[in-house]
Amino acid sequence: MRSILLALALALVAGAGVACSDRSGTDDSGTRPVAAVDPLTAAKTSFPGLEPARPGDLPLGLDTASPAPGTVAVVPGPFDDRFVLRGVRLADGVVSGRLTVTSDVSDLLELEVVAGFYDADGRLLTTAKAVHHLDEAVASHEEGPPDETAPFRIAVPRRLLDRVASAAITVPVLVNE
Amino acid sequence: MRMPARGTTALLTLALAASLAGTAGIAGAESSRHGDQADHGKNGKIKNVIYLLGDGMGRTHVTAARTRYYGADGHLVMESLPAVGQVSTYAVQQGSGQPGSSDFAPNYVTDSASAATAWSSGVKTYNAALGVDAKGNVVPTLMEYAKQAGLRTGNVSTAEITDATPAGQMSHVLLRGCQGPTYSASACQNPTLTGGALPTSDVRVTPVADQIARNGTADVILGGGLSRFDAADESALEAQGYDVLGSPATQTVATKTDLAGTSAPKVFGLFNKGNLTIEKYKRENPSSVQAQEPTVADMTAKAISLLSSGKKGFYLQVEGALIDKRSHANDAAQTLEEIKAFDEAVRVARDFARRDGHTLVIVTADHECAGFNIIEKGTFTNAEATTPPANTDGGNTANNSTPSRPSGGAKDPVRSTGPVNGSGAGDPKNFAPATFRTADDPAGVVDGSPDASLWLTYLSGNHTGADVPVFAYGPGSDELEGSIDNTDLFDIVGGALGLTD
Repeated sequence: MRSILLALALALVAGAGVACSDRSGTDDSGTRPVAAVDPLTAAKTSFPGLEPARPGDLPLGLDTASPAPGTVAVVPGPFDDRFVLRGVRLADGVVSGRLTVTSDVSDLLELEVVAGFYDADGRLLTTAKAVHHLDEAVASHEEGPPDETAPFRIAVPRRLLDRVASAAITVPVLVNE
Repeated sequence: MRMPARGTTALLTLALAASLAGTAGIAGAESSRHGDQADHGKNGKIKNVIYLLGDGMGRTHVTAARTRYYGADGHLVMESLPAVGQVSTYAVQQGSGQPGSSDFAPNYVTDSASAATAWSSGVKTYNAALGVDAKGNVVPTLMEYAKQAGLRTGNVSTAEITDATPAGQMSHVLLRGCQGPTYSASACQNPTLTGGALPTSDVRVTPVADQIARNGTADVILGGGLSRFDAADESALEAQGYDVLGSPATQTVATKTDLAGTSAPKVFGLFNKGNLTIEKYKRENPSSVQAQEPTVADMTAKAISLLSSGKKGFYLQVEGALIDKRSHANDAAQTLEEIKAFDEAVRVARDFARRDGHTLVIVTADHECAGFNIIEKGTFTNAEATTPPANTDGGNTANNSTPSRPSGGAKDPVRSTGPVNGSGAGDPKNFAPATFRTADDPAGVVDGSPDASLWLTYLSGNHTGADVPVFAYGPGSDELEGSIDNTDLFDIVGGALGLTD
């Protein structure tokens, strides 16, 4: 092992933009950036014009889905060609089903199924989601081939149980290993 | 930890090259292993580095592909490169210090993200981390250095371009699942490491696609993963002067015709909404949409042609990603074909380097995948996954193991993930074992039959901690000889390009 932290770590302090914590130094071989490069500015850590994500943003299409009473609509998302849905239904205050990844045979790292719940007039009342996150730091592999079928259950908030007439789901997040 | 001493290696290599230079029978690089030794000692100044990696490609993957396509006495192009070494690949635990520090905590089996960060930024980090060290600090990458120094830069992959290996050179995220197009707290935040959620303006929780589309780190970006990008990304790319092939805004994939038609200095071309398509499918379905995707060799050739116009040289990374993805699936047939396709990209790079004389070509892997092995006919056991065989030998007790197991044991559910294709092991279309005809087999022997001479098996469906091979060509290639660590690749490439000293 002859390489180590070349020059820096840019510690990004919450709410304070970029704060530089120069941990520069050289490893046992003396490796360091040459004058032509500047480790403090080489990594692009800000993107003018990029609106930071707002965690409460709705996936596109859920606000206008307006599914018919008694149904569960599937709103198009970016990864619809990578999975199949089976058994999707709204019953007993829960939208549920199974998603099977068809594009890869590997561990499922990230999956979010977002559901919108609507009243009898098709107005969006609220949203909720089912999240699958594989923590690689603690993950252990299941027996056999990777299980690429993820069942999901998304409950209607108790306060809205008597108003929800339909649902729509979409999949905005999907990452395989 | 590098050995042997570089100077000694260089002298030996030069001496060997000199002794071979005048001999006959070494003209064909692939016909003779190390056939390029004659010009290996060229004292050219390094101007360019082409860094190719087969994702998940262990030493046995290389041997199996060689045997499959060229027979026992044949050679892949990568095997013809004169400098050969091996690379250790271990990762570290989240929060670990670097090797040698008091809080160093290794993880013997890496993933693609940690490995990519090792060679891109020269640090050990935890599995899933990209462009950050194990404590979560942003660390600059070689491609960022190269860009800053005025070199031309390129990043080519058969995976989604937001996938770990390509992303390791041009993004910084706490978790590799933070790919986009949308931000997700569960996919992007790592509160265990950072002590709480970071603001979404922090680069470390900014989706990789958003970063790639805006940081300009690579001049030429070719691969898959169009679904990760959107209309805003397309606008950001065009504002930086990229020729965007296809359209993220309309989710129109680029084609190899589009690729052939561009000569722009900055090109962004994604040819599939997800990973690119395996070569086997394209070969068997030539009229399919997927057959319009370029091969990794096509993309490599185009990238070189676009990048080589720069006066200061270039740094190009090329990934054959589907080797790993098909190894996870224990799909030997497609794994081998993807290795061959990747080897054709190596050929393109090697041929350019031969003409150019100032290009260092490095071929390696990020890790081994699935414990791929070549076994003797009829000896399939997959001991750990199914039923361990007896380990005592009544005829020669020196062969006995401890603990003694005079008859077959039972699968340990704690240690074993079980057979990947256990119930279908007898079906030749499944794995366990897979058999393939080779160039050495008589006519009439077919794949999947017991008569086929190449028997392959897997230990698991995931990565292993085995060292991986490295092959190199061109000035400075002796730096790759011997045993190195994957972080040494950062030093070697950085030194070759004059980015580090």
